[in-house]
Amino acid sequence: MLLWFERKCLASLQLLTILYCSLRRKKSLWSLILVGFALESLKENCRPDGRELGEFRTTTVNIGSITTADGSALVKLGNTTVICGIKAEFAQPPAESTNKGYIVPNVDLPPLCSSRFRPGPPGEEAQAASQFIADVIENSEIIMKEDLCIAHGKLAWVLYCDFICLDYDGNILDACTFALLAALKNVQLPKVTINEETGLAEVDLKQTNPLNIRKHPVATSFAVFDDTILIVDPTAEEEDLATGTVTIVMDEEGRLCSVHKPGGSGLTAAKLQDCITRAITRHKEVKKLIDKVIKSIKIK
Amino acid sequence: MALDHRRVPGPEESQAPLLYAVPGQAAPEAPGREAAALRPLLARAGLLSQAEGSASLELGGGTKVLCAVRGPREAAEGRGRLLCEFRRAPFSGRGARPRPGPAAAARERELGLALQEALAPAVRLARYPRARLELTALVLQDGGSALAAALSAAALALADAGVEMFDLVVGCGLCRAPGPGGAWLLQPSEAEERAAAARLTVALMPGLNQVAGLLGSGQGGPPESWAQAVRLGLEGCQRLYPLLRRSLLRSAERRAAEADPPQS
Repeated sequence: MLLWFERKCLASLQLLTILYCSLRRKKSLWSLILVGFALESLKENCRPDGRELGEFRTTTVNIGSITTADGSALVKLGNTTVICGIKAEFAQPPAESTNKGYIVPNVDLPPLCSSRFRPGPPGEEAQAASQFIADVIENSEIIMKEDLCIAHGKLAWVLYCDFICLDYDGNILDACTFALLAALKNVQLPKVTINEETGLAEVDLKQTNPLNIRKHPVATSFAVFDDTILIVDPTAEEEDLATGTVTIVMDEEGRLCSVHKPGGSGLTAAKLQDCITRAITRHKEVKKLIDKVIKSIKIK
Repeated sequence: MALDHRRVPGPEESQAPLLYAVPGQAAPEAPGREAAALRPLLARAGLLSQAEGSASLELGGGTKVLCAVRGPREAAEGRGRLLCEFRRAPFSGRGARPRPGPAAAARERELGLALQEALAPAVRLARYPRARLELTALVLQDGGSALAAALSAAALALADAGVEMFDLVVGCGLCRAPGPGGAWLLQPSEAEERAAAARLTVALMPGLNQVAGLLGSGQGGPPESWAQAVRLGLEGCQRLYPLLRRSLLRSAERRAAEADPPQS
């Protein structure tokens, strides 16, 4: 324990360092003070909401609440709330691959979830999130697009996955990936047959089949502070103060599906390995949660 | 169709499977209902952490609406303004998914304006000069009477945000069954609304007994029929009022309990 006098010296030294850094890097003084404060408390293993550095917020998932959608899920990661609704429609398969269907994700960050978003067409963050989900679907092969084809070259399913963020408190990518997985597990597609005489599709709404989910990708996001400290599941406040973010997507066989690191401060290989290890444990937690919820629905 | 560069590209055209449903699969006719029967209502205020005020309203039979209020924020010179936005989630409708884009926005703008006109008499805007209040109503699932549910949820959200109001606004939807002599039904379900000959939404401030808004269209019959429908709607609003007040009280108690945990 430091004496009062020594503490005061340390504080004034920190203040001088911050002033020096702000003059050199030309960052706003206030944001540097906040970062400095955050770094200090993180070194003591302390986060503003009292979590450990490697601890996730309470995760809850609610499947199948929207009956107008073919599959739906509501995921809450602490305060961050994302709802995913999937609607299945018919379309012609794309010209370049006539035996595939489509999966079209669309992430919407409306002004209601946070004051940082303006109404209107999707902004940068929403576009980046949509593209991230599209990449996760592609890389993890959660669903093979060939499974969505009904008649080669003529008819295929399109799954429109719409994500709406209801409450933005950081870590949007983890919540969206989890909501995608839960909603896809909930989707029931009606049976379709092609009438040979008329060539039209005939849909039997009474008979439905679930989708064939091959892999279960789970995303884990980290915020990086000054190349040294990594915290898992950042809140909006922590994301703003962080110098970089990393998102790791793993599937159940311990295979890495994607690493998303949009710029930000560098990360050593050892730190990246730590992230991957934490992502593997997180995958087990999430898988257990989803299996529990799906089982509870089946029992009903 | 113009290519939307901001969204992940999908097929140019797609059709809903419902169009190709084998005939004879229509849902069985719902048993006849009493015209003035109200659907069970679940209202909660204060759910979102990032908005100043929020409320969610669910009507039995599948209408779910979420409303959030942000503000008062600083605005240009002038009196206080209330800006309302009405949005439907792409998965909220029973039929085809409406493509997000400018076309869908036009109908929603009309409803947003209707929301604003109905809520403006209830809010004491004179107490917020040079400020603006932004309200967003999001329909997560449309099972009928979505605009009426959005009105009630919006009033709850404004009250939850601590905005000064004269009274809560309660909304009630009605529709008239097709055919001559069709009766007016209170809080129609989605199937009833689709088959209706005329639709009406009334907004009432029950404490002051003043009508805040009225929006109706269709072949309603003679004026007496419309007058009867309005009276039915206003009665419905009066009956919903205690439920909404109780949900506000509950959320205030919950907030007080969180701020000051009770001494055991």
